[in-house]
Amino acid sequence: MTNESPLHHDIETTDLSGVDRRGLFRLGGLTAAALAIAACSDNTEAGTLGRVGEGGTTPSLADAVVNDGVLLRTMAGVSTSIAVAYTHILEGGFLAKASDTLPDLGDQTELVTLFQAHHVAAAETFNALAVGAGADAWTCGNTRLDAAAINPIFKRLENGAPATDNSKVIGPSDDATRDYINLVHSLETLSASSCQALVPVLSQPAMRFAAMQLGVRSARQAALIGLRIFPGGYIAGVGESVTEEDTATTTIVADGAPPAPTAIPLPVALPARFGLLSPTMFIGGDGDENGVRLKVNFETPSLNSFAYPFSSCP
Amino acid sequence: MEIEVSESGADAAMSDGRPHLGRRAVMGAGLGGAALSLLPFLNGRAAASATTEPASPEAATATTAPPQRPTPEDVALLSFAQQVEATAVALYNEALKVIGWSDEQAIVITFIRDAHLAYAQALSGLLGRDAANSTSQDVFDANKAGFSGAIDAVLASAGALESTAVATHGDVIAKLVGTDGASLIASIQINEARYCTVLADLAGEQDPTVLLVDEEAASLVGEG
Repeated sequence: MTNESPLHHDIETTDLSGVDRRGLFRLGGLTAAALAIAACSDNTEAGTLGRVGEGGTTPSLADAVVNDGVLLRTMAGVSTSIAVAYTHILEGGFLAKASDTLPDLGDQTELVTLFQAHHVAAAETFNALAVGAGADAWTCGNTRLDAAAINPIFKRLENGAPATDNSKVIGPSDDATRDYINLVHSLETLSASSCQALVPVLSQPAMRFAAMQLGVRSARQAALIGLRIFPGGYIAGVGESVTEEDTATTTIVADGAPPAPTAIPLPVALPARFGLLSPTMFIGGDGDENGVRLKVNFETPSLNSFAYPFSSCP
Repeated sequence: MEIEVSESGADAAMSDGRPHLGRRAVMGAGLGGAALSLLPFLNGRAAASATTEPASPEAATATTAPPQRPTPEDVALLSFAQQVEATAVALYNEALKVIGWSDEQAIVITFIRDAHLAYAQALSGLLGRDAANSTSQDVFDANKAGFSGAIDAVLASAGALESTAVATHGDVIAKLVGTDGASLIASIQINEARYCTVLADLAGEQDPTVLLVDEEAASLVGEG
């Protein structure tokens, strides 16, 4: 009988003398190099994801071509969105009501009706240009502008916002007339800056001219509605706004009361010496529990709001 | 007993009769392996970039980009536009000599005068040595009387001049090929349009057709 166990036997018969640290380095390097070479060996499907089983092929997206036709029909959509927004405001009769915040505003229904006609005509002009450039006409509003800005504003101003796990309920606008006339100013400013933004990207001078003819009118409408909201507000610090506290509509609250709602800046007719392409901020609606009102930036059309050839009206 | 030392200790330690890799060789092999392992990644990137080539006929018919810098014909148009702006500065300087402006009116007129000066300077910067940097004597003479009378008349003349500038810049944009010049003129034109409304409001005008300038003035392009 012997004391040797099978395990002992295995240890004795395994030769570990050749596996030192350098040997491990060599093995590791060779393995990494072999894997790298193996990975490089088949380029036939480079750039595509490998898959296991019977998965479907990767869908190929349509090319996002940005040409004159896309730009022009995008602007047709923007103009239509603005015209439709004005229809909503006018049909709601909001502009005929008195504003507590802007007591001298008066009824601006007739003026905004004039603005609406301009944007309807602008949409037709842009569509005619788009068709001339080989694109299809865009007969509905700009889907991105509607979904991200205009519709949420309407919803917030008219219905408020329901309570959530993190916030209390927010009521409808505390002054719908003020908010809607400010929205008109924001949309006119957007229209003017969007037309200006077209100039360096359109290829044909005649198209640039036509776009600027419409932009010029929108700029004047923005200046005029700005002066109706804020009489004498030609440039910052001039007119009735000689003191800082008068340049925004604010509410003074007593000690211990909830925070005052966000101040809403009053527009000026000449915000700068050159035409601006920066976003136009709309502030409106009732404040939340912290007094914070809805803030929406209106930006000139870009990659996420273009009416591409593969886009269609909903 | 004497021991002859024929090699250094470091080398002697490795002299066990088998081929050895030095530390530098190991590091070199490691770096080489790492570089090799990056090949599939780089290869994939190259393949991915290759797939962004236009695949459809629509992509192939994308609009050809216009030139950025002004063409020789653009330079003449932009020089003319600069002359109009410089002339506007001279006319507003005449207007500011008139006695009777309210503080508010004086501030607005000064703002507009300074804006026209900024436009002339911006065009000078774009044109460089080709800039005219001069006023149009004909335009100045034709408008000087209007900018030297009563306040209301000056405001009306200023509004008419701005409308003329808007129409003129519109015609310039319709002819410019380079996008740099067109962008600058557009940013000028759109603000001059606002000046028409502001000047009419400053004069107490209430009619929207006047405030919004339903009838634009005639362009100066082609007149001189």
